[in-house]
Amino acid sequence: MSGKITNFVAGIVALFATVSVLQAQQGRGAAPTPRAAAPVDLTGYWVSVVSEDWRLRIATPRKGDFESLPAFTADGRRVADSWDLEKDNAAGVQCKAFGVGGIVRQPGRLHITWQDDSTVKVDFDAGTQTRLLHFSPPAQPAGEKTWQGYSTAQWEGPGVGRGAAPARGQPANNAAPISPGGAGRGQRGGPAPSLGSLNQGGSLKVVTTNFREGYLRKNGAPYSESASITEYIHRLPSDPGSDTWLLVVTVVDDPKYLTQPFYTSTQFKLEADGSKWAPTPCRTAAPPK
Amino acid sequence: MKLKLIVRIFPVALFISLLSTPAFAQLSIVGEWAGRYHEDNTDRVPGDVQGDFTGVPINEAARRYAESYDVRRVNLLEHQCEPYNLPHIYRGPLQFRIWEEKDPATQEIIAYKIYIGTYQQYRTIWMDGRPHPPEYVPHTFMGFSTGQWNGDILTVKTTHIKKEFYRRSGIPSSDMTTVVEHYIRHGNLLSHVMIITDPVYLTEPYVNSEEFALMERGNQNWLYNCEYVVEVPMDMTKVPHYLPGKSPVLEDFSKKFGLPLAAVWGGAEATYPEFMTKFNAGTPPAPLRDTRPPPRTDTNEVHGEIETFHVQGNVYMLVGAGANIAVQIGDEGVLVVDNGVASMRDKVLAAIRKLSTKPIRWMVNTNGDLDHTGNNEAVSQAGQTVNGNPADIIAAEDVLARMTATNRSISERPLKTFFEESRDFSFNDEAVFLYHYPSAHTNGESFVYFRGSDVLVAGDTFLTTTYPVIETRFYGGLDGFIAGLNKMLSIAVPKYLQEGGTYIIPGHGRVSDEADLVEYRDMIVIIRDRIQDMVKRGLTLEQVKAARPSLDYDGRYGVESGARFVEAVYKILLEKNNKK
Repeated sequence: MSGKITNFVAGIVALFATVSVLQAQQGRGAAPTPRAAAPVDLTGYWVSVVSEDWRLRIATPRKGDFESLPAFTADGRRVADSWDLEKDNAAGVQCKAFGVGGIVRQPGRLHITWQDDSTVKVDFDAGTQTRLLHFSPPAQPAGEKTWQGYSTAQWEGPGVGRGAAPARGQPANNAAPISPGGAGRGQRGGPAPSLGSLNQGGSLKVVTTNFREGYLRKNGAPYSESASITEYIHRLPSDPGSDTWLLVVTVVDDPKYLTQPFYTSTQFKLEADGSKWAPTPCRTAAPPK
Repeated sequence: MKLKLIVRIFPVALFISLLSTPAFAQLSIVGEWAGRYHEDNTDRVPGDVQGDFTGVPINEAARRYAESYDVRRVNLLEHQCEPYNLPHIYRGPLQFRIWEEKDPATQEIIAYKIYIGTYQQYRTIWMDGRPHPPEYVPHTFMGFSTGQWNGDILTVKTTHIKKEFYRRSGIPSSDMTTVVEHYIRHGNLLSHVMIITDPVYLTEPYVNSEEFALMERGNQNWLYNCEYVVEVPMDMTKVPHYLPGKSPVLEDFSKKFGLPLAAVWGGAEATYPEFMTKFNAGTPPAPLRDTRPPPRTDTNEVHGEIETFHVQGNVYMLVGAGANIAVQIGDEGVLVVDNGVASMRDKVLAAIRKLSTKPIRWMVNTNGDLDHTGNNEAVSQAGQTVNGNPADIIAAEDVLARMTATNRSISERPLKTFFEESRDFSFNDEAVFLYHYPSAHTNGESFVYFRGSDVLVAGDTFLTTTYPVIETRFYGGLDGFIAGLNKMLSIAVPKYLQEGGTYIIPGHGRVSDEADLVEYRDMIVIIRDRIQDMVKRGLTLEQVKAARPSLDYDGRYGVESGARFVEAVYKILLEKNNKK
């Protein structure tokens, strides 16, 4: 009997050893790069579809028109009421409406790429702005404050951070080869994958600091340098043949200027290529009379 | 022996469990959630300014509908307690509660249940892989939903949604709308995305998203009170609307915010960044056009097989034999309303026999068309009155006259005819009412009301597949349609908040309720009023056709069907006008 128990224990030990080897072979023990660990492919050209807040985004709302915003603090109200487009232009701060707190709401396109294995690059054609999303941030972002600030990123979702098997290589959608009947990526050629197979439903959490004061809206609704700005970027599951959507959920918590956190979610549609990419300078049209 | 077994099995089981993919629990979306209105607040909470059509990829049909819309229409009793439909309700002020229904044996989620405080709406999102129902079942304001998790995103697809609006300013949504939703949770924040496809009124999917915050302490505001009441003395059969181009509120939004009218009508083009350049340059958008073919409706209503749907009470609907067939069953026998085309005889009889083996005692013809009466003889002969004769066929007198004039055989003809406006009798322990009204599809139209089952069988006075078909050769007309529909509206009683209650089997199409019926009545009245105005202004038929008075409904009921309807209405109204 005791021999059987010994055999049993030995079997268990051998079993764990085998599993450890197999897991290591699967890469579970090693830390994949953020790019390799991406649960979702965010790369590509994405166009904003302005189906919400249309008159606040396509047009420039009149001074003092702050529909939908949380109430300002006294400081926030003072700054908001002092908005003067001409003065901004003269002072060379035209990009205040194109900073991290407002850029996503500007009608335009995003071009998302991997700058390297641990940095996502987001180019905006509106205002010709660039943000770098760092997976390996320094302890304290240093340097001069900028319109886009310093962004740290981390993947969120099922399996993320638990040593899950990394997603396969993820070239940009618009760079995928056209291969009729072959293994396409659902955007250019090949049978489109079924719902859910395009991504694993994860998201990218982005926290940005070290930014300059700017505008949530074109007409001077302010956010302060001390605001907390968090974004969640999702690529939404889609059916074959239907559009692919990117959702950016933005939470601006700015006790200096806003009495409550400000929540928005902004939709972008995947485009086949960059043929409509049209960088423009920071420019805000005058509001209607 | 037992230890031996354990020793052999345990390592294998452990090995398999360790190698398998880690099972991560789904995020919970259970809880009570309250809206945050940091986007489109004016539209979503207090109500949009009239004339705001921004951001919605509407087509020209939707524009016509919206510019004709008069908010006073909600004064009509049948409209007063209509809730928002699914694509609209999340855009209003709301809070909702989500809970899970689990299989007691496996603890797997069968469904998510959602209760929405605004309009007291309940939703079920089925997670058990069941298919969506066939098209002919009733639509509801919340539709039929199925869901699946994709990682941490719950994706929900909904069909069978009732017609309503995307905005209170009158941008219509059709009953062919489908919605894909995504529920995404981050801490105490829930993001909700809707991708709406509507082949009738949108040129592209309409996408919007909302945020909801978890309510830690709940909220008491969960009930919605609505009672029908005549608030303003008015003719409740008139349908408030503006003739095209005559709305006094159309420019309210553009004037209030200093925006060009053409820009706020932009449709899909105006939702893309390129439009901002045009807008800033003062260049108007291209006119709204919808170059896509209208959605196909099932015009081939003779199927290979008959499908049976239990409407409610004693009444069933048979689909696939031409016109819809209603079958009432009970201890006394079987009553059949209409019976389909002759080519489906055996299958119709078999379907009836599947429901009941009791004798077919009565048949009703709602009109004399062959797709309603093609099996008069066969079904009658298969049945038996208490005297042992073939089942009696009841119809308005004009049906008999028409069949006689068209030499239908004697055994096909309804010999139990009636002249009076209504007739009633009791069968299978419920009162059965027949109402006759002339000058609708033909001069011999009837509808049937089963009082106990609370089911109306409308005949061709109400269709969900096409415009009204006016058979002038059989003395059809327009007034009978409106009178018949108004009579049905007076009989139908919806359950609380304008859904269900009395069900209506149309001559063709899906099972409906009062909310569907009133939309059909409104459509006929609105198109009639437009054509009446054109007739008064002396427009020719060609000019009327060119003005497309049915434009806003053609995507739903068919361009060709619309052209025929417009022509028929024009001729009727012109004749009336000339007689004055």
